[in-house]
Amino acid sequence: MSETAIGRDGAVGSIRGRKRLVVGVVGGVFWLWLVARWIYHNSLLDSLFTAVGLPDLLQSDQGVRQREPWVPVEPFAAAAESLQTAASGPGGVIFEWLAWPFELIALAAEAEPALASGAFLTVYLTVISMFLGLFIAVPAAITRIYGGPISSRVSLAYTELIRGTPLLAQLFFFYFGLPLAGFIDSFSVMESTGAPRAAAIVAIVAFTINSSAYQAEYIRSALQSVEAGQLTAARAVGLSKSEAIRHVVLPQGLRYAIPGWTNEFIYLLKYSSLAAFITVPELFRRARDIGSDTFQYTDIYLIVALFYLGLVLTTALLMNKLEVRLSIPGIGQSSTRNS
Amino acid sequence: MSLLRLENVDKSYGNEPVLHDVSFDMERQSVEVIVGPSGSGKSTLLRCVNRLTEINGGEIYLDGDEIHSVDENELRRRVGMVFQGFNLFTHLTARDNITLGLREVLGASKDEADAKADDYLDRVGLADQADSYPAELSGGQKQRVGIARALAMDPELILFDEPTSALDPELIGEVLAVMEDLAEEGMTMLCVTHEMGFARSAASTVTFLDDGRLVERGPPEQLFENPEHDRTRAFLGELNGLNNE
Repeated sequence: MSETAIGRDGAVGSIRGRKRLVVGVVGGVFWLWLVARWIYHNSLLDSLFTAVGLPDLLQSDQGVRQREPWVPVEPFAAAAESLQTAASGPGGVIFEWLAWPFELIALAAEAEPALASGAFLTVYLTVISMFLGLFIAVPAAITRIYGGPISSRVSLAYTELIRGTPLLAQLFFFYFGLPLAGFIDSFSVMESTGAPRAAAIVAIVAFTINSSAYQAEYIRSALQSVEAGQLTAARAVGLSKSEAIRHVVLPQGLRYAIPGWTNEFIYLLKYSSLAAFITVPELFRRARDIGSDTFQYTDIYLIVALFYLGLVLTTALLMNKLEVRLSIPGIGQSSTRNS
Repeated sequence: MSLLRLENVDKSYGNEPVLHDVSFDMERQSVEVIVGPSGSGKSTLLRCVNRLTEINGGEIYLDGDEIHSVDENELRRRVGMVFQGFNLFTHLTARDNITLGLREVLGASKDEADAKADDYLDRVGLADQADSYPAELSGGQKQRVGIARALAMDPELILFDEPTSALDPELIGEVLAVMEDLAEEGMTMLCVTHEMGFARSAASTVTFLDDGRLVERGPPEQLFENPEHDRTRAFLGELNGLNNE
């Protein structure tokens, strides 16, 4: 393999040379645009700006469908149209093929504001659920390994129940089965603060529970890969079991857990698209709605796939950087370099 | 009063007896070396003293306190341990390997603990490695950090569980030198080791353990030159054969 190829040790972080520059620029533009969109339509920032007397630059009151595309649609649409017209003449198929990229760009430009809003919600759902899930997963993993006969079985039952049932079924259970959404809606304050709708909160609850079970398994196996002598040595110094776990086993085990944890992060990022089925307007739902408006299903799903790819590659890159930053000689990535 | 007293200690793993009716006394500032074939229960004996393993019968007294009447974490603070496989905390520097116990168990402040750790690293000749992680140290250096870690807790007794068995031959000397210094300074040490040189020069008493029983015990010269039991003689003969190869 050439030096510019993706290395064995991981992901996009190890791309070198000119390809690195290209990937960096594409990623940079993607994220610059996403963040700009989010700021531009953020109601909290908008009210903050108004409060401190700045000119009303942000537009948070526009519905997603009213938002103006930042890339002109017209030229691409017109080009596609004229090529389509030419397609009725001789050699038609070739013109049809030539028209397709222009149609795709026109659609992407038109869909851009809605997709940005959906991407925001997707990232929001995933990051919050992973974060909250971690607070269930770490105690669950510790209880599973070090708990008593009852508590470790409770932890086992929890992970197996959650891992053993479909995520979509869990979402439906919380949204349609339990009156959770109605309960959340009953707090009328939610609407006035611009907080996410009840469905999004139900999705976060379901994703948190689902990911916590998977995270617990990754963390359990990582904790178990910490040498037994480490705990023995900590106990021999006079640390209690819980102190030994906290100061010796966890700092090592959680480092070992990062690659598996990244895997779960990426998994949830993609499977958060299931929230579309309980009306949460995240990335996939936005794409599906645009598809049903325009009947350009193939095109919009192709575009949204690129979005997910961008989000996943970014996650992999960031987690790779985190792993390197947290590595210690003997634990994590730096050890492979030393040995 | 003797510092450590074992009375009729019995230990078995399930139906497998490991120690049978072991009794002996250790005086303060003495160095006890335990020798015996593998599987004779030497390491188990050490682990019973700091309750990493619980005995099934008999009593063990540390400075007059029956060890089960003392909180196990308090007991382990008073009894240090050095392991065959070093067991240094992989994620901590040499200094922090020592400060963890000082801060969490003895409640020392960070500055106090750091100063004390550097002091003890200096004593084992590793002042310049305070910021190294275990993976960056040689086996001999790791074991010296392990000794400093046990020593810094100001224990009444230190248990050495085959401290040089995992080391390359050329690294054994530096660890034994530290142990000999400790013995000279009057640290009470209970050592499982087959380093006969160390036993001759530093041990007050050598105990031969075979098949979970205390076969013979005496000063090194007596046990090595003039053992009473045939089994002791046979074992020492084998050991000498190995050492002279």
